[in-house]
Amino acid sequence: MPDPGLMSILGRGILTAPPAYLDPGSGSFLLQLLLAGILGGLFVLRTQWAKVKGFFQRIFTRGGRKPDEHDQ
Amino acid sequence: MTSSRRIGASFRDPSGFLFSRGGILFRQVNHNYRPSYDLLVSSGLQEELVEGGWLIPHEVVKEPPADETLASLVLRPEPIAFVSYPYEWCFSQLKDAALLTLAIQERALGRGLTLKDSSAYNIQFHQGRPVLIDSLSFEPWTEGEPWVAYRQFCRHFLAPLALMARVDIRIGDLLRIHIDGLPLDLTSHLLPGKTRLQPGLLAHIHLHAASQRRYAGTAPEAASKSRMSLNAMRGLVDSLKSTVGGLDWAPGGTDWADYEQEHNYSAAALESKRRLVAGYIDRIRPKSTWDLGANVGTFSRLAAEAGSTTIAFDLDPSAVEVHYRRCRERGEKNVLPLRLDLSNPSPAQGWAHGERMSLAERGPADVVMALALIHHLAIANNVPLSMVAETLASYGRWLILEFVPKSDSQVQRLLSSRKDIFTDYTLEGVQEAFRRSHSIRAMDRVKDSERVLFLMEKRQET
Repeated sequence: MPDPGLMSILGRGILTAPPAYLDPGSGSFLLQLLLAGILGGLFVLRTQWAKVKGFFQRIFTRGGRKPDEHDQ
Repeated sequence: MTSSRRIGASFRDPSGFLFSRGGILFRQVNHNYRPSYDLLVSSGLQEELVEGGWLIPHEVVKEPPADETLASLVLRPEPIAFVSYPYEWCFSQLKDAALLTLAIQERALGRGLTLKDSSAYNIQFHQGRPVLIDSLSFEPWTEGEPWVAYRQFCRHFLAPLALMARVDIRIGDLLRIHIDGLPLDLTSHLLPGKTRLQPGLLAHIHLHAASQRRYAGTAPEAASKSRMSLNAMRGLVDSLKSTVGGLDWAPGGTDWADYEQEHNYSAAALESKRRLVAGYIDRIRPKSTWDLGANVGTFSRLAAEAGSTTIAFDLDPSAVEVHYRRCRERGEKNVLPLRLDLSNPSPAQGWAHGERMSLAERGPADVVMALALIHHLAIANNVPLSMVAETLASYGRWLILEFVPKSDSQVQRLLSSRKDIFTDYTLEGVQEAFRRSHSIRAMDRVKDSERVLFLMEKRQET
């Protein structure tokens, strides 16, 4: 998760992004907003499921599993 | 002070630009970008990405900027040995570059930043691995904002990968025409209807194209009051990652590990050729090598093992794919496999022909290897031998050339369906044609074959 202190600075508008030089495209922007609920929901489900799986893996596997080097 | 030259590809983003001075590449950071650059550093993201080998390292230097009025900082990035372009990459190179871009976006979001562009041209292959070369690609992310570079990612990476995997690998060549990535409506039109059943391709290509059509010319704020949460942003990146990850292509539909084209060599001939080429390389000790028609890189490796930075070009996307996967498996740092049609090499293109360099502009190499290639140029492509010689001389000082005679089965195959009009295509004819541009330093017959190897040096006046 982003650093809460940093997010509060961003939230107060002390450090804001300069105007984008790239045209994001209205259709591309709106599609993301349209899909935001589904994508966010799926992401939460996936991370929660990974946590549940990890919990049981830790119980049943002695020493637990080392995370993958490229796990993001 | 030595004069500086702005790099032709670096002008769209007002955050800064690349310039070269005294043969060294620098990146100017403009005042307007300085807060974002400082955040990249203070957030720890830069260190994290550089340590992972994902972002090119750079140092802040006291070099005078190229444009005093705009400059805040000057950076000196670690140099890239050879600049390559997405239309020269094989499928897996483009896929690895796409996955790296998404992994970087994930890390950036974790530290309150986002990629403000996701151009495939911002990725280069450095010591065998893809790496982001643009340190000015980051900006603070404001919660609620969608990803500004989403469209660019889909055009530069997802669209060509989907078409290469689901339609035909050769569609990757469209990247050369569309240097800002493939239009999504074209991609949606070309993809088979069944790709609409795959959620990732349905959302990011088909619905994306439809949304672009539907909302063209509309201000996003007017059409939606929704916001993009951090989870939604992460979900978007996650969805793109699994869509890209789900696209695969196997050369010839076969097990790529079996891909070889050295059928007509006996083991003794192959060994003899290997020894001769290794001997020539040892004699000239090149820093850089261009292996033209490298196939899966059997001989490129000899140059690489001798410490030469080797670019291994081949026309065949399957050969480049197999070669790249082998290099990746071995952790090869000195070889870069690339796709190239020598009869129509990458041109200078983009704005004022200055954005993307031609092949010739990226040379010359110390040595050019043209092994089992000359018959493809002289016979299959009807290029006169003297023109082959001149062009190879322009690509490098030294030339390791293999002459494949007409009696060879490979040449016989080329001549089987056409009239033999190539009267000068003989050992003597080749020597005569090449002597105009090169001095012949060595000539050796490959054992157990009729093929002949030459070591030649470009003449000064050429």
